[in-house]
Amino acid sequence: MSDTLVETPVPVEPARKRRNWAKIAGVAALLVVLVFFPVITGTEVAYLKAGQYVLIGVVGAVGLTLLVGQAGQLSLAHPFFLLVGAVSYAVLAGDAGESGDLVGLGLPPLVAMIGAVAICALVGLAFAPVSGRLRGIYLGVASLSLVFLGLYLGQSLDMLSGGTSSGRPPPTFEVFGFRFANTEPAPTIMGVAIQKQQRLWYLFLVIAIGSYLLARGAVRSRVGRAWRAVRDNEAAATAMGVRVWWSKAQAFTVSSAFAGMAGVLTALWLDLVKPDENEFIGTYSITVAIGYLAMVLIGGLGSIPGAVAGAVVVNGLPQLLTLGATEFGWFASAGAGGLSPVLVSAFVYGAAIVLVVLFEPGGLAAIGRRLTSRQGDRR
Amino acid sequence: MSAPADVRSDVSALAVDDVTLRFGGITALSEVSFTVEPGTVHALIGPNGAGKSSCFNVISGLYTPTAGRVRLGDLDLTGTAPHKLAALGVGRSFQNIALSPHSTVRDNVMLGRHVLTKGGFVTGGLRLPRTVRTERRHVARVEEICDFLGVADRLDVPVAALPYGDAKRVDIARALAVEPTILLLDEPAAGLNATETAEMGVTIRDLRDALGISVLLVEHDMGLVMGIADRVSVLDFGRLIADGPPAQVQSDPEVIRAYLGAEAE
Ligand SMILES: Nc1ncnc2c1ncn2[C@@H]1O[C@H](COP(=O)(O)OP(=O)(O)OP(=O)(O)O)[C@@H](O)[C@H]1O
Ligand SMILES: [Mg+2]
Repeated sequence: MSDTLVETPVPVEPARKRRNWAKIAGVAALLVVLVFFPVITGTEVAYLKAGQYVLIGVVGAVGLTLLVGQAGQLSLAHPFFLLVGAVSYAVLAGDAGESGDLVGLGLPPLVAMIGAVAICALVGLAFAPVSGRLRGIYLGVASLSLVFLGLYLGQSLDMLSGGTSSGRPPPTFEVFGFRFANTEPAPTIMGVAIQKQQRLWYLFLVIAIGSYLLARGAVRSRVGRAWRAVRDNEAAATAMGVRVWWSKAQAFTVSSAFAGMAGVLTALWLDLVKPDENEFIGTYSITVAIGYLAMVLIGGLGSIPGAVAGAVVVNGLPQLLTLGATEFGWFASAGAGGLSPVLVSAFVYGAAIVLVVLFEPGGLAAIGRRLTSRQGDRR
Repeated sequence: MSAPADVRSDVSALAVDDVTLRFGGITALSEVSFTVEPGTVHALIGPNGAGKSSCFNVISGLYTPTAGRVRLGDLDLTGTAPHKLAALGVGRSFQNIALSPHSTVRDNVMLGRHVLTKGGFVTGGLRLPRTVRTERRHVARVEEICDFLGVADRLDVPVAALPYGDAKRVDIARALAVEPTILLLDEPAAGLNATETAEMGVTIRDLRDALGISVLLVEHDMGLVMGIADRVSVLDFGRLIADGPPAQVQSDPEVIRAYLGAEAE
């Protein structure tokens, strides 16, 4: 202990750090709803599955908005990385003895999940020579070719992907001996048994929140500033010491890793890894590429909260409408060739994109910002 | 306005040594030599197409000269990758403001700290206390620099919402945030009105006095150049036709001819 009381002055944060209590209360309320969602839905597991699907969208969309919105690189390759993530997880965690034709390395599921994300990051990095040279729509088209590559590889490498006819089951996820499966007896929260789907909800929720926080942190830091600088003016970014090619490669790598994580979650959600039969419809198809792009556009390019809102709209709506169809008989009169939940939600988010482009290029994020009247960069 | 820091003692001379630059058949620069002495404001002028921007781009590493060298003290900058110059103490502003329009002033100027900081996606994303503390220190410095340039009250405003004159100042603040020993300013008064131009002149002298760094500026506004430059180099058709104190250059017959000729065009 020194005998002086003089402290080195700590820089005082200016007024912008003023606490916005309304916002904190809102976030707290949202968290409570999310944590008790399995209790709220109870035995209606279909709603829980719909919620899980939204969380998968959040992870993927957050990654894509970093790439497209923050770093300014248009990519339609997201479904390819979802596929690589899903298949990598199944291969890394798969039991080699289970089926003679399938490759399985038998790694612990947590290691397999991390490995799958790392593989996607590396594959994304390998695409850097292309993503660094092309811009705008040219990059979009080039990245779309990866979706076709994924389709081809998924169909031809049966021993990895399981093939289009049967696919392969993803191994049950497990962390330190805790299995994300049904058990007897199961723990309960307020009388609701926490079984496989409830456990997956919490897993997805933790990963989605982690992704959100990581992305928000990055956007506010050095790496995010470099991305925006490269997006807006490469010469200026260079003059400030940013290695432009590396910054671009970094964005593609990070975005691919997020997509890979979304792919692992997709495998767990479907309880199946199965390559698509064609490029237009399916889990890893062009439709999904457009869906993810719709999420980041509707949410507002580059905005992390916006990406979340976009995921709720694009992934949540078809799930909700499907639930309506099965539970309340919506669309029942339409019959074959008529309206389906998927079609209706495609129209809705198509219209949402047009409205955003025409009236509010900043997307839902800008509307939210206006409502809470904050200025500044899209964060 | 407070001084951003103590006067620097590590400023060395920037020497453009016998630089020739050809684009195919066009000789943009022909055996150009001049030296920006430490702590001076040095102006590079000349009629349209004289080679000023080309010379600037050679110094900032965007063009590699056909012959000749660029040196900063003992460092040979010739052919150095442009993204490495910031770390070597070269700060540069742009003729056409090259900021991120949707980002705030603070965020834009913070980009200047890129080479003075570390951290990639994960370290940034985790916002560890250490990272946040370091960042706060750099933000404090950036706010000091913005204060010096008179844009401290605009820190949270997106650059797109700023008047042109303020945006120009933010561009210079960002170049200063690199903590350069030499500051390259490309037409700092372009697009400014007479009052703003005069204020810009005062600011350039002030920051040189406060920091002790060298300033090399390309400028069309004669009044500004003659008022603040310690030394003026004049280019015409890629050749250096005069190099000296403003008063001497102003009365140089060849300079007068070059400018009158240019005006007669
Ligand atoms: N990238 C290039 N390719 C071909 N020629 C070029 C290039 N850059 C400059 N030049 C030529 O070099 C000469 C000098 O041009 P520069 O832009 O350096 O002149 P300047 O003094 O900056 O002119 P201004 O006052 O109009 O900005 C001109 O003849 C120009 O056409
Ligand atoms: Mg020029």
